[in-house]
Amino acid sequence: MSIYLPIAEISINIFLLISLGGVIGFLSGMFGLGGGFLMTPLLIFIGIPTNVAVATSANQIVAASVSGALGHWRQGLVDVKMGAVLVSGGILGSIVGVSIFDYLSKIGQIDAVISVLYFVLLFSIGTLMLVESSQVIRDRIRKKTVKKKLHYHNWAHRLPFKTKFYTSKLYISIIPPVIIGFVVGILSGTMGIGGSFILIPAMIYFLGMPTSRVIGTSLFQIIFITALVTLLHATTTFALDAVLAVILIISSVVGAQIGVITANKLRGEDLRALLAIIVLVVAVQIATELFIQPDDVFNFSHMANYK
Amino acid sequence: MNIKILLIIVLTYLNLISISNALVIGSDENEILIDANFSGKDLLVFGAFYADPSQPREKKGDILIEVVGPQEDIVLRKKESFFGFWLNAKSVTFKDVPSFYYLSSTSELKDSFFEENNIGLLESTDSPVVNWSLISTNWGSINSDKEKEEFYDALVRNKSYENVFRKTADEIEILDGNLFKTNIPIPNTVPVGVYDVNLYLILNNKIAKDYSYNFTVKRIGIESIIYNFATSFPLIYGFTSLLIALIIGWISADLFRRFRKA
Repeated sequence: MSIYLPIAEISINIFLLISLGGVIGFLSGMFGLGGGFLMTPLLIFIGIPTNVAVATSANQIVAASVSGALGHWRQGLVDVKMGAVLVSGGILGSIVGVSIFDYLSKIGQIDAVISVLYFVLLFSIGTLMLVESSQVIRDRIRKKTVKKKLHYHNWAHRLPFKTKFYTSKLYISIIPPVIIGFVVGILSGTMGIGGSFILIPAMIYFLGMPTSRVIGTSLFQIIFITALVTLLHATTTFALDAVLAVILIISSVVGAQIGVITANKLRGEDLRALLAIIVLVVAVQIATELFIQPDDVFNFSHMANYK
Repeated sequence: MNIKILLIIVLTYLNLISISNALVIGSDENEILIDANFSGKDLLVFGAFYADPSQPREKKGDILIEVVGPQEDIVLRKKESFFGFWLNAKSVTFKDVPSFYYLSSTSELKDSFFEENNIGLLESTDSPVVNWSLISTNWGSINSDKEKEEFYDALVRNKSYENVFRKTADEIEILDGNLFKTNIPIPNTVPVGVYDVNLYLILNNKIAKDYSYNFTVKRIGIESIIYNFATSFPLIYGFTSLLIALIIGWISADLFRRFRKA
């Protein structure tokens, strides 16, 4: 059974969309990731136009982040002040990101840029996760326990405009979180991702935030940034497909809950190794399209949106 | 439908025998509606034609059906390799290109026929001169005729991949000598708008009779509401979409929390 998507202007099998949303929701619930970095390339892969994939992904991430952030919020694990500082940088970043996207669409390079960005992103994430998880698995086999550092002090603590973040028990400059928010905002606007995989390590290693507060706070900031990206795309690229979004949102939230339940029954490092492999496969798929000569070197696009 | 309509044609056709040649159209479809389940449609075109009965069948003439969709502007880009990356390089803008073009005849017609009558868009490979008057273009950095020709061919070829440009000579069914019937596949990628259908009765490589009508492709129901909403009020549309995301996110978090507690 196929459904006609009003903005993408194509009809596509509804069960394909539901299973895509479900699987990505499942993975994101399982691994605690937003899933946007898989959603966008896979949507493009099944034939959704790039601009629709990016805009609609952002909308789907809003729902996923709200769902995830609520749990952390109720346990008091969201640093609202830090979130607000990150959002302030993120607002500027996402406006820049969507403008870059719009410009690249007009000159016809958006598909290539998105592919390169995704390849770099997925390849690095996949490799890092594979290395990390295989080390943990090796350590587990050798029955070693890994010692972790508790707190970091670095350059981020020596900049001006210092302020207290009570929830995170930090006294740092607001400049690093604003910059982090800005960078992630640009990625959100151009790639349709939440950016948790950059936010989370940056918050832990650059800002020295306690890990318990990091996930809730990053989800909190992602809600606002992806919401803004959704609005910006709806008004500048006109690429937001509400029908596609609703299908993906419903299937992914259900998938996410099943993922959370499943994750509790499996070992984390095994799961991460599995995800790493999935991510690398997607990365290689994207790379082949970039490096291998296309069947037809010509391609066309309609100008309707850019008259 | 259609037996009734077919009967009417047959009767009309019998009436027409006294005239030397004739073309009658029985197609009654003038709307194609895009709803949530739209996955393309076959447009039925049928009618009767009548030529000189003293001639043998193969000399009675040919039927040519042309379907032209609403015009659109298209940017055609050519990929080139930069350090191993295949990136879009040169681009050409074609203005007022038919979004859908379909040409179907009962037998292969001569190129000279298409040229003389200014019919056809798909003839560039065979004819030495492309009929540029049909479309206006912005060539950008491209100036050699050979390269222009290459872009023109690529436009036609790429449109053919999506089945929106087609030419065929064996899809029209002739029933009972003088009745014809064909199904024109309209793929699900076609844009909305008015489509012209031109039918020609061709005798001795000349147009003896022609007939034109049109049909409209339009969105209906929820598809049309969403599309119009998104284009007329993009900001409100964006907020609505966000609100839906917030509500579903919220409800799902709550639902599953209770579910896990229970």
